[in-house]
Amino acid sequence: MAEMWINMGPQHPMTHGLWNLRIKVDGETIVDAEPEIGYLHRGYEKIMEVREFQKNVVLTDRLCYVSSITWSHCYCLACEELMDIEAPPRGQYLRVITNELQRIASHLMWLAAYGPDLGLLTALLWALRERELFLDLLQLITGARMNQNFPRIGGVRNDMPSDFGKYCRKIIAHFRKKLEEHEALFEQSKIFQMRTIGVGKISRQEAVDFGVTGPNLRATGANLDLRKLDPYDAYPDLNFEPIVAYEGDSYARYKVRMEEMKLSCDLIEQALDRIPDGPYRVKPPRRAEGEAFRRTEDSRGEALFYVIGDGDDRPYRVKIRSPVFSNIFAAPIMMRGNKLADVVAIMGSIDVCVGEMDK
Amino acid sequence: MVDGELVAFVILSAIEVASAIMVVTAKKLVHNVFWLAMTLITIGGIYLLFRAELIALIQIIVYAGAVPVLFLFGIMLTRRKIMEEPHESE
Amino acid sequence: MSGHLIDLYGWSGALASFVLWLLSLPFELLNWIALQTGAQKPGPLVGFIDWLAGPDLTALVALIVAITIVLLWATAFHLLIIMWIERKMYSRLQDRRGIMIGLGSVEILRNTIGRIPILGAPFRRPSHLGTGFLQTVADGVKLFQKEVITPEKADKWMFHTAPVIIAASTLLLFVAIPWSDGFWLMGSIENGRPVNPLGILFILAAFSIAPLGILIAGWASNNKYTLIGGMRAAAQLMSYEIPMLLCIIALVVFAGTLDPFELVRKQTAPFSLGPVQISFLPNWYVFNPFLWIAFVVVFVTVIAEAERIPFDIPEAEAELVEGWTTEYSGMRFGIVFGFKWLRALAGAALISILFLGGWSGPVFATFMVPNMAAAGQMYPVPILPQEFWFTLRIYLIFVVFVWIGWSVPRVRIDQILNIGWKRLVPLSLLSILLAALARGAWWS
Repeated sequence: MAEMWINMGPQHPMTHGLWNLRIKVDGETIVDAEPEIGYLHRGYEKIMEVREFQKNVVLTDRLCYVSSITWSHCYCLACEELMDIEAPPRGQYLRVITNELQRIASHLMWLAAYGPDLGLLTALLWALRERELFLDLLQLITGARMNQNFPRIGGVRNDMPSDFGKYCRKIIAHFRKKLEEHEALFEQSKIFQMRTIGVGKISRQEAVDFGVTGPNLRATGANLDLRKLDPYDAYPDLNFEPIVAYEGDSYARYKVRMEEMKLSCDLIEQALDRIPDGPYRVKPPRRAEGEAFRRTEDSRGEALFYVIGDGDDRPYRVKIRSPVFSNIFAAPIMMRGNKLADVVAIMGSIDVCVGEMDK
Repeated sequence: MVDGELVAFVILSAIEVASAIMVVTAKKLVHNVFWLAMTLITIGGIYLLFRAELIALIQIIVYAGAVPVLFLFGIMLTRRKIMEEPHESE
Repeated sequence: MSGHLIDLYGWSGALASFVLWLLSLPFELLNWIALQTGAQKPGPLVGFIDWLAGPDLTALVALIVAITIVLLWATAFHLLIIMWIERKMYSRLQDRRGIMIGLGSVEILRNTIGRIPILGAPFRRPSHLGTGFLQTVADGVKLFQKEVITPEKADKWMFHTAPVIIAASTLLLFVAIPWSDGFWLMGSIENGRPVNPLGILFILAAFSIAPLGILIAGWASNNKYTLIGGMRAAAQLMSYEIPMLLCIIALVVFAGTLDPFELVRKQTAPFSLGPVQISFLPNWYVFNPFLWIAFVVVFVTVIAEAERIPFDIPEAEAELVEGWTTEYSGMRFGIVFGFKWLRALAGAALISILFLGGWSGPVFATFMVPNMAAAGQMYPVPILPQEFWFTLRIYLIFVVFVWIGWSVPRVRIDQILNIGWKRLVPLSLLSILLAALARGAWWS
């Protein structure tokens, strides 16, 4: 059959958002692929320049609508670095707890989207069912299910309720059992293994060259977890080992994320055990001068905020480094030579969030 | 009284001859294959008129079901620019 | 061994003669008026009335009525039910309740029949507590209302021909599928028993036409997704027909017949395989160790023929939007989409006839009803007729389809073809060998 270009997007079931993947196929085999992004560009970096430091948290929440807290957290850390303050210990622990809850919720959203990509719609409903519990937890602590607006420069917005730990442990224990069901649905299924093992391979060197980070990089064998490598907040106090897989294929990426959910459960339990009493927030200065950046381990990879202040109460310039923006351009490497049906198996495993990609 | 079998034979063979002509005269590949399938199915119908039910069904399974699709596959896998053909007719 | 409830040709014959008698009444009246006004004795219209109510026309109308009954039974009744079964079943698999629109959702019914004290109870239920059966009807009505859009650059003639080919070949399946000893369209009666010597072959022939229609549909839409989907569908259906045919050949070698009625009659007896006799087990071919492989292969190929997950790669909504049905809208889409369910239904019926004893089943009690075809006679009707057992089997097989379909991902196209050609074809050849060995040992 003749070679032809196929547009997958901007409105296509595969994209999970608004972007376009142009694929050149020879029959069923992918010859080349070209991501086309920018459909959801909202000019974040520019808008942030005209808003006060603290008020920008509302915006950073909306960078990725399934992983709000991790993004606001990264921005707050960068601003704290700029203002030379530090959140009090309780605030740091609260940030870790909400961060990890958000990470689980985000990974569950990925799992929910990965199922229908492979034709397994049941996984969508199951994963969303579990995600609901974590959204409930986030609602309990922050008051909102989405766009929580919770981290603050200098701490967090509010303390957690007194019975939060009880509910949290209960839900985590329940979730650990449910996660086994998800594993039975996915990785114990022979068809899932056929669809993902050896599909979308990328070597560690190529991944590093393209700036791939997060679970996608750790699936190629690079032990790069910023929670461990460049620790922030209360992460140095917690015992954990980053999850690493070595194959670099879709299955490894899937496996890393599944294990990361378990790791996040451990981290939340440890943080709940060790959370100290005291204030959860310090008052930040209104104005700041200088420049600072901070990178954190977002649900999808390395999130980075680079903030410059010129002595005004607004940032002079903000630069956002989105992990998906880098990850997605490694997709053509993973795709070449695979079959057309593998596009979804690969793109699903990369975990695209268009909101943060297009900024 | 008209002989029903004769009527059926005349109709079937008329369709068959017409579609056999269409096979060679139609411009587009898929049209050719469609008319080829029509020819083969009507031959199956004529077998039925001869009370040869088994061979009629085999004719439909093998010739009407499989052969045109195989032809189409063979040609589609080798030729270039399948999609452009409908455009040219506009 | 239970009897059948529906005597299709008897009923449709009775209905046809009744309808034709009704039609002839005005002419009788005219004839009577003509006689009163002085026409000669038999009257001018007697010949016409004799032709109208005569056996030739009655037989023709009876055949049309019988075809209509079968097609309505399959498309209007079973299609809606299996769609409902599928949607409720996968909703339960997904830990939710699924479609819930019931009779109570129809405001007119709620305000009228719902006000009746006791009988109106089902119509009073709030819409979120219904059974959901009305949803399938509502979807059908919705599809009828939608505009049929033809893509501008599509090959219009072929675009509109393809659904006809698909629908016709799918409906052909139901011509040959009998639902009981009395509810059948294709066949004849010999020695008081229905026979249809080539029934199974006819079903396979009808199955084999669909790839052509699908390929034409995919090409004519002039869309890359549909083209790829059509190519995939044709490749998949073609390559899965071969193991299906081979396995049915194995069964035919063993059973020695292509007649669905004969196959079911053979499976009604107690289990016997050479020296082994088991009285409590029916002689279903699925219990026969020589045909286990054939059963598994036929089951898999039927799932593939019906384009169900895990073999729904032609549709593959994740990468191909809606596969070869992408450009169809309105009831054209309804036809090409709904008839996939019909093919699954026909496949389930085929499995049931070939391996699971067809419509045989225990009869617990009978009651006597008057015979519609012959006045004054009574005949026994079982409370659980053959149609019930057959429908039950079909639905259970379909539930297994749904169960499999909604708990596994989709297989890739090259893997599907690998499974088809490298696994199923050798397995089906093996099952032919096994069946031939068993047949050679006179164990059939």
